[in-house]
Amino acid sequence: MVKSRSTQSHDPKKKVRPAGWQIFMVGFFLFYMLVPIISTYVFSVATRWDRTILPEGYTLEFYKRAFDASYFTITLRNSLILSVATVLVSLFVIVPTVYWVHTRLAGAKPLLDVLMILPFGIPTVVMALALVQVYNFPPLARSPFLLIGAVVIYSMPFMYRPVLNAIQAIDAHVLTEAGQSLGANVFQVLSRIIIPNILPGILSGSLLVFSTVFAEYTLTSLIVGARFKTFPLLLVEFTRINGNVASAFSVISFTIAWLASILILWVGSKGQTAKTETIRAR
Amino acid sequence: MSPSQRKTGRTSDWLGFAPFLLFCLAFEIVPILFLLRGSFIEKTTHQFTIQHYLDLQRPLYINSFLNSIKLSGLTAIIGVIVGTFIGYAIYRWPSERVREALITLSDVTTNFAGAPLAFAFVVILGLNGVITQFLLQYIHYDLYPKFSIYSFSGLILAYVYFQLPLMVLLVLPAFAGIKKEWQESAQSLGAGTFQFWWRIGVPVLMPSLIAGLTLLFANAFGAYATAYTLVQAKLSLVTLQIGYMIAGEVRQDQAVGMAMAVGSLVIMGLSIGIYKAATLRARRWSKS
Repeated sequence: MVKSRSTQSHDPKKKVRPAGWQIFMVGFFLFYMLVPIISTYVFSVATRWDRTILPEGYTLEFYKRAFDASYFTITLRNSLILSVATVLVSLFVIVPTVYWVHTRLAGAKPLLDVLMILPFGIPTVVMALALVQVYNFPPLARSPFLLIGAVVIYSMPFMYRPVLNAIQAIDAHVLTEAGQSLGANVFQVLSRIIIPNILPGILSGSLLVFSTVFAEYTLTSLIVGARFKTFPLLLVEFTRINGNVASAFSVISFTIAWLASILILWVGSKGQTAKTETIRAR
Repeated sequence: MSPSQRKTGRTSDWLGFAPFLLFCLAFEIVPILFLLRGSFIEKTTHQFTIQHYLDLQRPLYINSFLNSIKLSGLTAIIGVIVGTFIGYAIYRWPSERVREALITLSDVTTNFAGAPLAFAFVVILGLNGVITQFLLQYIHYDLYPKFSIYSFSGLILAYVYFQLPLMVLLVLPAFAGIKKEWQESAQSLGAGTFQFWWRIGVPVLMPSLIAGLTLLFANAFGAYATAYTLVQAKLSLVTLQIGYMIAGEVRQDQAVGMAMAVGSLVIMGLSIGIYKAATLRARRWSKS
């Protein structure tokens, strides 16, 4: 009832135009959000842009220099390794746990929720300090392995939400019982029935984790530093060496974030249609 | 499996939860407990001490906490006020496609914190920045040296960038709690727009606004990469100080670093606690 009323007020047929103050607020918002990003994109291809309102000329020189920079491929590779490893560990740890708690161990749900929200309450520097203090012995001390552990914890909430939503949307209990009555064990139920059914949730979670970890700076620089240099570390380094090249790096970083968001939206819309179809089928 | 079997298999059920629990213990809980313990232990004698906390009274550390609280508080207040108005403008926007596009934009930009964002602000507001030069040449107004992107005022602008979209996302569901009927009945009883918002709208929104304020505060308090890229040693913040201690740039005070870390955990814990309580209250209105 209430819902239908509120949608009525937004009826497109009425052709309500936004009020002046709305246009002002949204315009301000767009200005604030887009000008820094668009400027960085333009700056990265501008020859000189400090005397005129538009750049004096355009060039791809800075991208050439960015790609030529020593470390560029290494840092990109390291970032990819870190992000993919984190996604895999995160999937491996979180997906079975969420499924298990949902179907077999409802009593652990509050504990799971607390553990998942905890990383939000711990500043990344504090986590880095704690981990560096405890694991000060080889092979873990200041190693990429320790970093992966830290980054999995830090990005856990991003995986948890979509996976939880997906599992709550399907009838996991019925599916599990159906599978078990046909003689499937827990691993078969999980890999053959549950995971295919929650794939959109798993995909958006993975993409969210991937893009967060790809941009991660704090834990990487404080736990491993120069020993395992990733792309964000290279970016920060170049903000002090060459602004134009740094802007090219920023553009690469922004573009990856945009692409990941578009993919997440796309996956989300796929999941949505799948959901409405199953409802219709019922 | 029948429900009764589910109950009897309880210990084996917890076994399935064990891998995740172990992972959290190893990389989250045990390290934090060690940190807590370390902040109370004297390094050479290994005895209990509160000296590390007393050391926090040194001006550098006091200033770090004050700066961090000021920066987080200010950007949280700006974020809540401006974000609420932007959120309402979006909520009332007639076209659904525009609304969805703006929500998506908020979703993306609130994650744009860190080094690339900090550098984007240098591009527009640095000494030779696009906006700096525009103001200088067309309005003949020189931002520098009164303003600097590498200072406290610059950090505020950069932090508000990720605070605003977060507030928009937090406040949008709250507006759905203000029922159209309330506005209509208030109007029919002769209340003006201002009266409606002052007596009904704002009180209903209040838990969401407080939740937003605390979450934005915590969001800014824990931030590191943006501040590190922009101000470095020019301004001391809690997270920056802890970072220097890990990097070994300040060798003497590892234990003070731990005390500082525990202090920031207490502040974060308080904000998240208020946030949780406020969201519980806010949910009252979205029910029914």
